[in-house]
Amino acid sequence: MYPVLRKVSITQQAFVLNPALTVCRARPSVQHPVWCTDSVNERQYRSMPTHGIGRWKYLLPKRQSKEKKKKGRQMRPIVAATDTAYGTLNVMVSGYDMTLVEHYSQYIHNLCHRLGIKVSESYALPTKSTEVMLMQEVGTKMYVDAVLKTHERIVQLSSLNTTLCPVFMEVLLKTQPEGVQLSVNEHTEDQFKARFKARPELEGLIAQINH
Amino acid sequence: MAAPCRRMANRSLLQFFSHFSRTAVRNTGFREFSSNSVCRASLQTKTVTETATSPWTLVAAVCLQRLPVISADLHPLEQEFKEMMLQMELERSLVSDHELRVLEESERMSRKKADDYDSDEEGSQGNQEIMLAQDMEDAWEQKLKNFQLAPRVTADIDKDLTSAQRCLADSLFLLAEQQVGREKLWLLPQTQWQEGETLRQTAERALASLPAAGFKATFLGNAPCGVYKYKLPKAVRTESTVGTKVFFFKAILSDSAPPTSPSLLWLKKNELQKYLKPAYSMKVDRFIINM
Repeated sequence: MYPVLRKVSITQQAFVLNPALTVCRARPSVQHPVWCTDSVNERQYRSMPTHGIGRWKYLLPKRQSKEKKKKGRQMRPIVAATDTAYGTLNVMVSGYDMTLVEHYSQYIHNLCHRLGIKVSESYALPTKSTEVMLMQEVGTKMYVDAVLKTHERIVQLSSLNTTLCPVFMEVLLKTQPEGVQLSVNEHTEDQFKARFKARPELEGLIAQINH
Repeated sequence: MAAPCRRMANRSLLQFFSHFSRTAVRNTGFREFSSNSVCRASLQTKTVTETATSPWTLVAAVCLQRLPVISADLHPLEQEFKEMMLQMELERSLVSDHELRVLEESERMSRKKADDYDSDEEGSQGNQEIMLAQDMEDAWEQKLKNFQLAPRVTADIDKDLTSAQRCLADSLFLLAEQQVGREKLWLLPQTQWQEGETLRQTAERALASLPAAGFKATFLGNAPCGVYKYKLPKAVRTESTVGTKVFFFKAILSDSAPPTSPSLLWLKKNELQKYLKPAYSMKVDRFIINM
């Protein structure tokens, strides 16, 4: 008798579950258990027992915090020129009009992305102010007529294919705006060192040690 | 501008690569150009035997271009946008030092002219400047009026096709009238390749041999940018000459006042089609970038 009863109860339970399943699939909502909802995209509310069910990053071993290195201190290695590609090249754009210079250097950078040329760095050199002094009409004293600021932007390319170079240069020359000078030269360590400020105390101490 | 540029780059690269694969073995002119030294070693023996049997005459041509001197005129939409941006920037900008000075001095002048003017009050602000800001502005205006701008477009020079100063906003290409076979044709200056020189040297020789000597040009790269194959008509074809292959090299004009001559024309890209033969012009159009 008991087994019979149990069987009946099990089958009854099965029947009870099945409509619940169909109901679940038709309208999934938060109240239903996890196995019938989209568990990847839905997060469970904080009072639900399944809250935080997808978390796994806390189980990983703790990584040591990244040592903060100042980006510019170490120089990127200068790529040497091979038979088929130029090494590290500096494309320098300079001029008096800052909007033109900046827009042109941005154009060059975007062009490199388009053509698949790797750009290692893109930086600006400090602006140089030039004072234009005119002689006075009466007397020998000079007076300041104008202050011209020269802005320089450098786009550093890590490797340029010799096959792509003529096309690249031609596009650059054809789109060069008026009043902007373009020059391409190889990157040297001296150029990199020139960007840093001189440290007189350090140099003094080094000189003292050497003597 | 960047989008068409990329397509051009791909096209010329593809052209270059396909050209290499097609003619690497047969073409004797590329002895010096092979990038792989291994390739070169294996080709040496082959090319020695092939010199006698290659039926194509090799010719190098130079595509000399004068870069645009001034920027192109703005599209009406671009012009409107530029004006709108300038207006917006003006309205959002702050007053500069010079403008502040002008305002201060105009205020001071108006206070001076008022009846109850007390010069002792002004003393604490320091000495009055010798040159008022307004006077400086007037002097600058005068200088601007005296300055003459060169004209952007000169109609009569533009119509003269032999002058290199025409159409300053576009890039111009040099075309010469040369004797090819039995007829005189307008084409990019070319000359035949000789033994023992690189194709680029041939192109330089082509430039130097033009009637108007003294073009200072910088060649872009050692590799040609395009090729044109011409098969002679069947009647003239012999065992040793099937046709000619013309390799184009790009060069940029360095000096601003090149010598002129009636047999040399400086043309824009859209004018080239009138002077070049259709098959030739199709190949030339592929590597001429017009921006």
